[in-house]
Amino acid sequence: MADITSAPDVAEIGIPKDQWTEPFWQATALGELTLPRCASCETYRWPPGPFCPSCRSQQVEWVPAGPAILYSYTVVRQPAAGGEMKVIAPSLVEFPEAGGVRIVAAIVDTPLTSLAIGAALTLRWNSSGEDNVPVFAID
Amino acid sequence: MTKAAVAGVGSTPYYFRGESAPQTIFELIGKAVMAAAEDAGIAVTDIDGLVFYSYGFDAALIVEQLGIPELTFCAVVGGVGGGSAGVLDLAAMAVETGRAKNVVCIGACQQIDSRYGTSLAGLATTPQGILSLTAGLVGPGQSLALVAQRHMHKYGTRREAFAEVVMASREYAQTRPEAIRKRLITLDEYFAAPLLANPLSRYDFCIESDAALAFLVTSSERAADMRQRPVNIVAAAHGGSRDWGRAFFWLNMPDDVFASAGAASIAERLYGQAGISPDDIDVALFYDHFSPLVIMQLEDYGFCKRGEGGPFVEGGAIRPGGAIPVNPHGGQLSECYVIGMTQIREAVEQLRGTAINQVPDAKLALVTGGPAPIPMSGAILGVS
Repeated sequence: MADITSAPDVAEIGIPKDQWTEPFWQATALGELTLPRCASCETYRWPPGPFCPSCRSQQVEWVPAGPAILYSYTVVRQPAAGGEMKVIAPSLVEFPEAGGVRIVAAIVDTPLTSLAIGAALTLRWNSSGEDNVPVFAID
Repeated sequence: MTKAAVAGVGSTPYYFRGESAPQTIFELIGKAVMAAAEDAGIAVTDIDGLVFYSYGFDAALIVEQLGIPELTFCAVVGGVGGGSAGVLDLAAMAVETGRAKNVVCIGACQQIDSRYGTSLAGLATTPQGILSLTAGLVGPGQSLALVAQRHMHKYGTRREAFAEVVMASREYAQTRPEAIRKRLITLDEYFAAPLLANPLSRYDFCIESDAALAFLVTSSERAADMRQRPVNIVAAAHGGSRDWGRAFFWLNMPDDVFASAGAASIAERLYGQAGISPDDIDVALFYDHFSPLVIMQLEDYGFCKRGEGGPFVEGGAIRPGGAIPVNPHGGQLSECYVIGMTQIREAVEQLRGTAINQVPDAKLALVTGGPAPIPMSGAILGVS
């Protein structure tokens, strides 16, 4: 059987936040994936931070990320509970309708043989008690 | 204007990870500094400048342990691998401006309490880097695997090319007494190894090792009166572009920069300063933490066109007698990993004409730092 990908345990990691990343996590808690865009010049920025790198404005609006495609990926194996090995595909996910911004995320529930650059991705969630971390699958 | 030269080289033995114990890293550093002064033919007490490469070495402890009476210059290049050749830039500036006469550059690593393979994990636990951890991206090899994968996709680069970089480094290391990995490997062995971070296997990762190296930099005039043939710092640069600064965590580099080693602007500055082109370089000492990045540096530094690095190495270009011999000491893949410092040592040995795998009549050597988060760095060393 082909290996199926899964995601790291988020509860073990914990999500540090600051005032510029907080809105990202507030939206994911509601099941929405949003990205920060400058409210003055409309340049997307990543990571979230205090200034627009194009115009230095501090005004931000959070907009829906839109469709996602697989920009690049790797595959690693990590020990999991019970002596099993987890297959994880740390990947780079691009949002063409959000200025081409990319975020790193795990690809889940996907056979390794299906991983392909350019593949369309479906948003899923890797949830702990407090936080919803975006992960993606190839259907 | 006063120009700077490398007049002395010192090194501890090279140890596999942890095997330098019970020496401390400061004992390793002290031995390397004393060896560099001895090589140049000056007293340790004549050292008046210190430049470290990263990792927060303590200047007060070094001068106390070695009895260096007074520093007139002391500086650190930041970064996690990219800035290694930047020590030569800082030391040259100190010498050229008269801030100090005899500057010792120090680089060392000792992987006892922590392993550098997960060196990005600490940096990733920030609000801006945390998605790396939740995605399972904990080491530089994994971030650069994304880059290698993209290079294969964009340009058709084959794993055979990564294998060739590894096999060439082993061919060189075979005759290098200091080398930790001397055994030749075959293409079949390369492909039989399990992937650690697709498309990279363990052969594509550098060695985990312990050592300290030191380089004595002084003016070309003073160097001429010292013990060794002076090796001039022809050009040196550290810094780098914002485009590449996004690598490793946010990975939002423009597409053409993504599938690269991030060194194009450093290369342009070096060749500009030196007034030369890649054709003039006799030997290249690339920072080879992961084999695909050698291929991308060949492109960034203009030894072949963008995207053609794979076929270039597969054609034998980096082997002895090839278009551009690369890492004749075996590099970090096969000799020893000391965050780029062994590359500087090999450049000096090549230009003195004392290298084990000597490139005939080598006059100009390229040394690089990184590819790693900025600062990136590079230097061109030469003899007249």
